[in-house]
Amino acid sequence: MAIKTIPPSRTSGRDRAERKLAFRMTAPSLVIMALVAAVPIGYAIWLSLNQYSVRTAGLSRFVGLDNYIAALTSNEWWAAFGQTFLFAGLSVSLELILGTAMALLLNLAFKGRSVLRTVVLLPYAIITVVSAITWQTMFQPNMGLVTNVLSTLGLPGGDVVWLGEHGYAMAVIVMADVWKTTPFAALIILAGLQVISAETYEAAELDGASKWQTFVNITLPLLRPAIVLAAIFRTMDALRVFDLPFVLTRGANGTESMSMLAYTQLRENRLVGEGSALSILTFLTVMVVSVIYVRFAGGNIRDVAKEEQ
Amino acid sequence: MDLNRPASPLQSQNNAATPRNRKGLAAATAIAAAALILSACGGGAAPQGAEQAAAADPASGANASGAVNICGVKDASGIYKGTAEAFTKANGKVTAKYTEIGATTDEARTQIVQRLEGKSTECDLFVTDVIWTSEFASQGWLLDQTKLVEANKDRLIPSTVETTKYQDKYWGSPFFTNAGLIYYQKDKVAKPESWQQLYAEAAKAPGNGYVYQGKQYEGLTVNFLEMLYSAGGEVLNEQGDVKIDSKETRDVLNFMSDGLKSGSADRAVLTYNEDPARLAYESGDFGYQRNWPHVYRLLNATPLASSFAVAPLPAWEGGKASGVLGGWNLAISAHSTNQAGAVAFIDFATTPDWQKHVAMDYSQAPVNEAAYSDPAVLQKMPFATELLASVKGAKPRPISPVYPQISQAIYKNVYAVLSGTASMEEAVQKMAEEITTAKASF
Repeated sequence: MAIKTIPPSRTSGRDRAERKLAFRMTAPSLVIMALVAAVPIGYAIWLSLNQYSVRTAGLSRFVGLDNYIAALTSNEWWAAFGQTFLFAGLSVSLELILGTAMALLLNLAFKGRSVLRTVVLLPYAIITVVSAITWQTMFQPNMGLVTNVLSTLGLPGGDVVWLGEHGYAMAVIVMADVWKTTPFAALIILAGLQVISAETYEAAELDGASKWQTFVNITLPLLRPAIVLAAIFRTMDALRVFDLPFVLTRGANGTESMSMLAYTQLRENRLVGEGSALSILTFLTVMVVSVIYVRFAGGNIRDVAKEEQ
Repeated sequence: MDLNRPASPLQSQNNAATPRNRKGLAAATAIAAAALILSACGGGAAPQGAEQAAAADPASGANASGAVNICGVKDASGIYKGTAEAFTKANGKVTAKYTEIGATTDEARTQIVQRLEGKSTECDLFVTDVIWTSEFASQGWLLDQTKLVEANKDRLIPSTVETTKYQDKYWGSPFFTNAGLIYYQKDKVAKPESWQQLYAEAAKAPGNGYVYQGKQYEGLTVNFLEMLYSAGGEVLNEQGDVKIDSKETRDVLNFMSDGLKSGSADRAVLTYNEDPARLAYESGDFGYQRNWPHVYRLLNATPLASSFAVAPLPAWEGGKASGVLGGWNLAISAHSTNQAGAVAFIDFATTPDWQKHVAMDYSQAPVNEAAYSDPAVLQKMPFATELLASVKGAKPRPISPVYPQISQAIYKNVYAVLSGTASMEEAVQKMAEEITTAKASF
């Protein structure tokens, strides 16, 4: 992980020449990277500093940070911000717990393991919008599969309008996300599991450690980098969530996410400046969270990597 | 929405023009210059606006030739392609073709906006949803069809023509229309004469309930406006002033939310758009359903076929029934390279003869009144009389270039009242505020 840097005092002429060569060779890809990544982001930032009204379509007025101030002082933004974090917190923690359990199961030696590994990944292969529609149908009042089964069995929840109330609607959105992406978390954690050498476990067994002790003291610490990696991926994804609430509730009952807010302003209302500011705010939120992750949890990745060496 | 604030950047630039702030001024000028360059890349100089738009010449259609490209949403019923083919055959000199540019209504709008903003000449005609007229016309994107509409006026139902109006001019010709209907189980419940009577009947027995489109989306705006219009309320008046903060709005909101509490309507309607409402109704557990005419054919294929009947939308007690118009118009692009061909196509599509095919072959509501009493149409569409009553009584949705924002202000706040997350008073005030802000953003 650590990048070795050569102190300038020790650079010889040959080093410099090599560096120049390296720069020349990487320059084309750097330019392409800049075009692909930096230009659209830069353009979005520029757009967010302007006001485009429907009347003046195509013409902009520079308004500085007005769009940001408007967003940050609006209830809509903070409501969406809170709901998105609630969603991310719930779904990512469930996905990590279930994903770890699933990975442990798939790591056991048993017949048909490879088949099961493929089957388990199926939900992840389904397009989110399609699975969202399936979940919507299942929780449809009166005729949905879930509501029907619950009411036939006389269980609570059969007469609930799941997508018509905040708590229940959020629960369905979280469930749909957990169902779909737990296999992804499991896959990453499984990769981490397979790196742990069998000798470590043999040693533990010789020392007379119980199954639980082995799990808590050996498996879990060694799995940490994989779990953190899964957490970073999933959190970044969850904070950008759009399709699940869009299909399931259209943002009703307090389930509007940050991305949905940006979409409404950009596409439905054609308010390019306001929408871009909201996109940039979403982008910044995701970035800040990732930096925090790497700063605090990423340290573990490095520590463990060092220990392993 | 609170997010749309009319900013005053020109003011702040003027303030910067003091000697001490020359650098600031220079920077602002540079940025403004850059803005102009960027916006020039993005689509050119100031938009023409509706005031300077060119007009379509009704006489030009007769001498038209060449090819006409019509663009719009995915052609599920085949009506657009069918009309293009029939036109090409009948006209002989002009060939028309239909290009699908979006799978859904929303996607089609985005695609059309992109083409219009980029002054694309790909499409001569656009099939436009009735709620897009003001926005497109205000941008100078469409050809003024006032003369054409006036030439064809005697064969068009007046309410359908109203959906193409913006600032006293017509910007499209209606192609087919749409209005809400009430489907009811004639052996269980009575034909609805007023909303009050419908709701009272619906609450009488568990199987009598009413289903409508109560999800937070455009459909809820339509359901709410149908009731508001029949109660005599309005969103914007003729002058465009916001009139939503009224006794009628309060009455309707109270009525709708009481209806959910008393069991006239199932709480599940809060999650229904058109299709789930239809499916719930097909289970046979409900007495009334509000939906569009296309449901007739689908309902006829279910066990309910023999027991249901169709009625126009009811009136508010003591008032006159008034629904909300849906439907699709034909708008000529301001950048069309074959405007005469487009006029010829419109002439054909709105003829009384072709309008009969619109009903018989594609089950859509014609814009020609005579079609509704044609025996061949009545055989295919036995509820044509009820449909005509709904269409003739219906009014357009609020006419404004920022209609999407106005609709959001309506459906979000109506939903908040129905789901019980906001008080009625709070919602009415927020609705009025948000509509005012939306209007100011134009």
